[in-house]
Amino acid sequence: MIETFFKAGTLNSPAAFLASLLIGIAFGVALEKAGFGSSRRLAGIFYFRDMTVLKVMFTAVVFAMLGICYARAFGWVTLDNVYFLHTVYGAQIVGGLIFGAGFVMSGWCPGTGAVGLASGKIDALVFLLGAVGGSMLYNELHPILAPVFDGDRGVVFAYETFGVSEARFAFSFTVIAVLCFWGSEYLEKKRQGRGNLWGTPFLAVFSAVLIVAASGLFALEGYEERPAPRSAMPVKETMSLQAVQAVPDHMGPRDLADRMLSGAPFLKLVDIRTPEEFEQFHIRSAVNLQVEDLAQVLLPHKNKGLVMLYSNGTDRGAQARDDLFRQGFKNVSFLTGGLEGFLNVCLKPVSLRTAPVTPDAAAKINAWRAFFLVS
Amino acid sequence: MEENATPQAKTSKALLNPYVAGLLLGATLLAAYLILGTGLGASGAIARLGAHLELQLAPARTLAGDYFGRWGDQPLKYYLVFMVAGVFLGGLVSAFLGRRFAVKIERGAKCARQKRLLLALSGGIMAGFAARLANGCTSGQALSGSALLLTGSLIFLICMFGGGYLTAWFVRGQWDD
Repeated sequence: MIETFFKAGTLNSPAAFLASLLIGIAFGVALEKAGFGSSRRLAGIFYFRDMTVLKVMFTAVVFAMLGICYARAFGWVTLDNVYFLHTVYGAQIVGGLIFGAGFVMSGWCPGTGAVGLASGKIDALVFLLGAVGGSMLYNELHPILAPVFDGDRGVVFAYETFGVSEARFAFSFTVIAVLCFWGSEYLEKKRQGRGNLWGTPFLAVFSAVLIVAASGLFALEGYEERPAPRSAMPVKETMSLQAVQAVPDHMGPRDLADRMLSGAPFLKLVDIRTPEEFEQFHIRSAVNLQVEDLAQVLLPHKNKGLVMLYSNGTDRGAQARDDLFRQGFKNVSFLTGGLEGFLNVCLKPVSLRTAPVTPDAAAKINAWRAFFLVS
Repeated sequence: MEENATPQAKTSKALLNPYVAGLLLGATLLAAYLILGTGLGASGAIARLGAHLELQLAPARTLAGDYFGRWGDQPLKYYLVFMVAGVFLGGLVSAFLGRRFAVKIERGAKCARQKRLLLALSGGIMAGFAARLANGCTSGQALSGSALLLTGSLIFLICMFGGGYLTAWFVRGQWDD
């Protein structure tokens, strides 16, 4: 079984930086060899002239999707090893539309822009400078735009949204991709008649392999659903079961601080103290909720991602967590030691500590302080 | 077709079959998920470069900020920064080996340089801004998030193409030959 850098909380360690660099090199080679060092080619899809972007992207998405499904089914990797982006409808709709407009205007996107720059394209350099500027612009406007993220739905899978099984959705997605491939080849043949793959044995075999691989998901899924004692089929547990089991019922201050420092993936932090106490100080990114409102307000987060409760000490958080658990929330955890423990363990300056602190621990404390005590 | 095309560009080697290139990209994405536990990403690194620049100019203000501030005083010590450095290196090696490296402004023969660069700049600003709003770009959302079948990422993918097709007609002149 694999433990990812993300799971281990070491995404920002030198080993992960090296792995990222190597994966980045493969990423860059794949993009360049696809011809994405050219803005003309990238923009081609928007004029139905050159459909390479669609072919490459959909092939990659389908391949990785199938690979992850099988890796999970064979028990190589579990859900808690993977970082899932949240769904925020407003942000992704508006962001997607603006991004697409920027894409067709410039002929670049951030990843291909880096490859374009490496290919000597001056327009790619100008694009990247613009994108740095656009990020800075967002930073300035973030306080105004932040309310968009109140609509954060947590981790939402499209098959849940459509109310179908994962296998069925993944299979349909694969079929749509294959149809798009054939449509693209046909379009290119009609538009330019240049060497294309319409009707070739290659495309037929390629399409068949993808569809057969996607059909295999039904077999895996059927097996999963068969009622059997878990010990008899350890590798066939469903994804959601493993995810739920992976949620600890409590978490220590160091663990929480490290998780948040590494980007706070799918973590919803809830402060259950009084609004006055919350105003005075709270852990970064926390929202203030009263115990009686928890079940209702947290409904969108039910069994999605990790909800973390804290109070001043351990007890109220633990109690609120148990109440939610009884109401079917299997993804709630509480902070042991509460906020007081968190302040003592993580944020107390090294100079004020009575126990000796190793240089490593001191560096960690300073990193936490820098992260949690700004602003 | 393209002005300034160097002799190398004319003799450039053939590109990969797009489906093979897609498999290569998909295998890279799968490796990222199995090794790092995250997908691929690019815009995050660009934003971190922005945060780094702002830190040089106004450290206190940047650290106090709600967005760049959360990345601390060393925003470049981040895995995606290394990933994009890799993308550049991989692209550079591949472009040289494929004899596709050529310093030029890519545009239609009838399009003025300034117009093309202005469009590249404004498109860059929009893409950089939108990638922060949507928490990802073509790599992080459209590619990586879609492979996990995340609703928000698939919506981003659809809206990205929607926004592109809606705008395409207005900027088509830059590719006129």
